[in-house]
Amino acid sequence: MIRVLLADDHAIVIEGLRALLDGEPDIKVAAWTTDGTDVVRLVEQHKPDVVVLDLELTNIKGTEVIAALRERTAPPRVLVLTAYNDGESLRSALDAGAEGLALKTESPQQTLTAIRQVHAGQLVFPQAARRWIEGRAGGGAPGDLTPREREVWALVAGGLTNPQIAERLGLSDNTVKFHVQHLFSKLGVKNRTEAALKYAHGR
Amino acid sequence: MTEVRDAEARAASRRLLATSERELQRIVLDMHDGPVQDIFAALSQLQVLERALAADPTAAQRAAQAVRLLERALGEIRNFIGAFRPPGFERRELGQIIEGLAVQHETLTEQAVELELPGELGDCALPTKIAIYRILQEALANGHRHSGATRQRVSVERRGLAIALTVSDDGRGFEPRRVLAREEDVGVEGGHFGLRGIQDRVEMLGGTFTLESAPGRGTSLTVELPAE
Repeated sequence: MIRVLLADDHAIVIEGLRALLDGEPDIKVAAWTTDGTDVVRLVEQHKPDVVVLDLELTNIKGTEVIAALRERTAPPRVLVLTAYNDGESLRSALDAGAEGLALKTESPQQTLTAIRQVHAGQLVFPQAARRWIEGRAGGGAPGDLTPREREVWALVAGGLTNPQIAERLGLSDNTVKFHVQHLFSKLGVKNRTEAALKYAHGR
Repeated sequence: MTEVRDAEARAASRRLLATSERELQRIVLDMHDGPVQDIFAALSQLQVLERALAADPTAAQRAAQAVRLLERALGEIRNFIGAFRPPGFERRELGQIIEGLAVQHETLTEQAVELELPGELGDCALPTKIAIYRILQEALANGHRHSGATRQRVSVERRGLAIALTVSDDGRGFEPRRVLAREEDVGVEGGHFGLRGIQDRVEMLGGTFTLESAPGRGTSLTVELPAE
C-alpha cells in the first residue's frame, strides 16, 4: 500500500486527487493539507511514503518544504506537482531534491502513474532534464568507490530502479541493494536524488 | 540634442521590455491560479466518474469524451504558459535561463538542442537578458516549425562588450528577403512575433542582426546585443 500525503493550496485539487487516488487499490491518501507550513508536522504524524507537493505554495516555498523533509532520517519521496513545465520549475524541483515532477497541465492519470514510479524508486523527470542529472562530463568520482559502485552510481543517476539496475548488470536485487547502500554511505547522501545530483554537479 | 533624444528613447524602450514581461507574468499567474486548478480538479473527478460508469457504456463514453476535451484545453494552456511565462529573469543568470529554455524546448517538441555555453559567460543587463531569451525562444520555435531538422544548435558567448547568440540548423532553409517582406505588415500572430519581431528587439537595444539562409542550405541566425 502506498501511503500518500497531498499538499496543495487549492482545496479543489486536493478533493479531486483524493477521489481519484482513493479509487486505487494500492494507494491510500493518509493526510492532506492546503497549508504548506503544515507538511513537516503531518509527515511526522502520518509517515507517508510519497508526498505530492505543489511548488507554488503561498505560506512557504515548496522548495523549503522539500529541504525540511530531506533533513529527516527517513524522508518520504517527493513528487512535485506543478502547472509549469519549464526549465525553471524542473531545475527548482531537481535542486531541492524531489524524486519527480508531475504536471497539472497533464491528465491526473499521469500524476497517478508518477506516484507509483517515485514510490518504486524511479526519478520521474522529462528525458530532456537528464542533461542536468547525468549529462555533465568530467570530474572524478570520490577515490574510494569500487568500479562496480561507480557503475551503479551512473545508473542510479540515470533514474533506474534497483531491479532495473540488477537486470542491466546481471546481478541479483539484493546485491544491487548492497552496492547502493555502500554507495550512499561513501557519498554521504541519503537518497537516490541526492546521489544523482552529486553525480551531475560534482562527481 | 538628437543624441539625448535617442538615449531617452532607448531607455524608454528598455523599460517597456521589462514592463511587458511583468504583464505576461500576471496573465500567466491568472491562468495558473484559475483555469489550470479548476480543469485539473474537474478531470480528476471525471476520471472517477468514468470508472463508476463502466456498467453503462453510453454514459461512460460521454464521460470519456468530456475527459478528452478537458485534456485538450489543458494542453493548450500548457503551451500558452510554456511560451509566455517569464523564466525568473531577476533570479537566474543568463546561462541558466538559456539552459532552461533548451530543456523546455526538448521537452515540448522532442527536437534536440545542442547547446554551447561557456562556463564564464556571467550575467548581463536585464533588457538584454529578456531580449536574448525571447529571441532564442522565437528562433527555436521557427526552427521547429519550418526547418524540418531533427536538431538545432545554440551558442551564446561574450564578444567584447556584447553578448552574441547564434541559432542554426541544417534544415530546409528559406529566402530571408521574402519572409521578411511578408512579415512587414503582420501583427502578432499566434503568440509569435517572427523574424521582424526579432529585428525590432535587436534594434531597440542597439544590437546587430545577421540571418543567413537559402532554400536547402539550412539557417543561421546571429544577434549581438550590448551586455550592459
